[in-house]
Amino acid sequence: MGQRILDIRNFSVDYGWGESAVRAVNNVNLHLNRSKVLGIAGESGSGKSTLVYGVTRLLRAPGVIASGEALFDLGPSEEGADTIIDLVTASEKELRRVRWSNISVVIQSALSALNPVLRVGTQFEQVLKTHRRDMNKADRRARIIELLALVGLNEDRLRRYPHELSGGQRQRVMIALALALDPQLVIMDEPTTALDVVTQREIVNELAQLRARFGFSMIFITHDLSLLVELADEIVVMYAGEIVERASAQALYDTPRHPYTLGLLNSFPPMHGARTELTGIPGSPPDLNQLPTGCNFHPRCPYAMERCLKESPSLVELGEEGRSVACWLHSGDEGVVVPVELSRTGKGKREPAPMPVKGDVS
Amino acid sequence: MSEVTDVSEVISGTVQLQARHLTRHFVTRTPGRGFNAKHIVRAVDDVSLDLVAGQVVAVVGESGSGKSVLARMLARIVRPTSGDVILRGKSIPRKARRSLAYASQVQLVLQDPFASMNPVHKMRHNLVRPLLIHGAKRQDVEALAEAALTRVSLEPPSRFLDRYPHELSGGQLQRVSIARALCIEPRVLLADEPISMLDVSVRLGVLNLLRGLCDNEHLAILYITHDIASARYIADEVIVMYAGQVVEHSRGTVLVDEPTHPYTQLLIASVPNPDDPTSVGPPTAEQAQVIIAEQGCRFSPRCPFVMDRCRVEEPPQFIVGENHTARCWLHADKPQFEVEVALPQRRGEGEITKT
Repeated sequence: MGQRILDIRNFSVDYGWGESAVRAVNNVNLHLNRSKVLGIAGESGSGKSTLVYGVTRLLRAPGVIASGEALFDLGPSEEGADTIIDLVTASEKELRRVRWSNISVVIQSALSALNPVLRVGTQFEQVLKTHRRDMNKADRRARIIELLALVGLNEDRLRRYPHELSGGQRQRVMIALALALDPQLVIMDEPTTALDVVTQREIVNELAQLRARFGFSMIFITHDLSLLVELADEIVVMYAGEIVERASAQALYDTPRHPYTLGLLNSFPPMHGARTELTGIPGSPPDLNQLPTGCNFHPRCPYAMERCLKESPSLVELGEEGRSVACWLHSGDEGVVVPVELSRTGKGKREPAPMPVKGDVS
Repeated sequence: MSEVTDVSEVISGTVQLQARHLTRHFVTRTPGRGFNAKHIVRAVDDVSLDLVAGQVVAVVGESGSGKSVLARMLARIVRPTSGDVILRGKSIPRKARRSLAYASQVQLVLQDPFASMNPVHKMRHNLVRPLLIHGAKRQDVEALAEAALTRVSLEPPSRFLDRYPHELSGGQLQRVSIARALCIEPRVLLADEPISMLDVSVRLGVLNLLRGLCDNEHLAILYITHDIASARYIADEVIVMYAGQVVEHSRGTVLVDEPTHPYTQLLIASVPNPDDPTSVGPPTAEQAQVIIAEQGCRFSPRCPFVMDRCRVEEPPQFIVGENHTARCWLHADKPQFEVEVALPQRRGEGEITKT
């Protein structure tokens, strides 16, 4: 495995059992290299959170892992070879060893993640007491102050309760907690969604600094694709439980290949240039109970062809490095013309390429 | 009630709702400052604005800037401490309760459509109830409810009337809340963060809907947001609020393209910009900490250009350009702006109603 810290194979998650099961994550293949940032973008219900909760085995009933494996590289053991465990089949005991020390999670709502009746300092104490038995009280205190300093908080915050902190400070406490045991992988589930834009900017900058210093890998989940382009090395876009496109951040932004990605990129009003009417993506995200036949995106896709109505495209590698897309437009079939806005090459500024309105394309 | 009685009344350019020096202070008792130590939170301080038929005014600010309290005062849900709300030239007594007549003219749409719809009732009930309250005839309400849904592009309406809130997506539900606000034909729509809870792909749909209502039906819209890019997309006039005050105000979107107040500049620099990530001036730790000065300019503790004067004296609004004001001492060489005397004229229009 070498470079890969996390390798997710054929991963599927269901909600419910038997007949009534709803597939929230469908056959996802994904890997993350050491010291890299993987961005997962998608709307609510696209399965982005379910995927990482499944992989970290934090999923609660009725969520069940239907298939797949998630191989996590714990790093070299005493013999020299890397120890690799499958998180899907790992026992609770093994998981307890890995969680927090190797993989930590910053969940979406910091207010509900922190214990409201304990002081911030106590919450740090508990983590260190449980996982670092050899530390004495003075060591722990020194470490906690060091952690708070990392995220730009003063040590007087230790005496505070979570409700006494602002949203940004709470989120910083969450990040400091996640870093408490020097994990190799930090998973951030929409860490900045509830924050103001200025605070978001500050936290994102701080994360970049911390990563440069400690070199942990990161999975960053958000619906804000523009933020990911800045932050991530690689981005996967999810739609209705499946990965529809995977590419390096800049390539995804400059030259999107999937119509959904293009639509998402066109959904952010620009801060510069002339004001033009944008169309976004027509329709609304699909109901996982009643997925359309064929490609999940076809009811909203302006380029939908006959084949898209019947067959579901799988994620295939494109000729370009590390890029894959799940769309029949790129199948290379005869007679299929890839529209110019989805086949552009080259770098530099993305030309504004409006997507045609559904119905315009025959 | 649903037919427009006098078309000339709602043509584009007529001032519908005005706020003059609107102020709301909340008194809190802070623990640790002694028994009954009162502390006044100046949630909204001396805000004046005009909502005009056929135009969108965007109010941009962080949480805690007072933008939602402002909307609630305009909807008369929160009573102002001082200042006036003027509906079509008529000042509303400050202490009066919100009347049905006022509500039929000014409607509020809230952030979370799931929380603002009664979950145990179908869409039909949610739409018919306001119609009946505002005096529609019982035999007409079904048709009016269907017309309201068609207006927000939920078609065919019959498919939606018998749905419960949980059966619709967030975007659809927000459209229903807009339809519900509009079915009684108000003149003013106050939209408090209408898209922040919605999925990215459906946000533009709702923004375009609001813009269309404004252009085609000459509604006056107040659009409250923390997303300055969406304000730039939709608005005819942009107001930036900080700590309860208007810090920058411009017709058109001049202030987004050429911000003159340091706070607006900070807001804009913080927006993710994938085109040119290096252009971002990262805010410093002091800048991102929300500290509100008790004395002087409220932004002074976070301001990179702070001068001695800023810490002592509160800046007035200066006219920094055509129809563009900023509350900052950096522009002290420019003329001061007073709401009563120097109210800038609107394009293509003479005097606006003086009150």
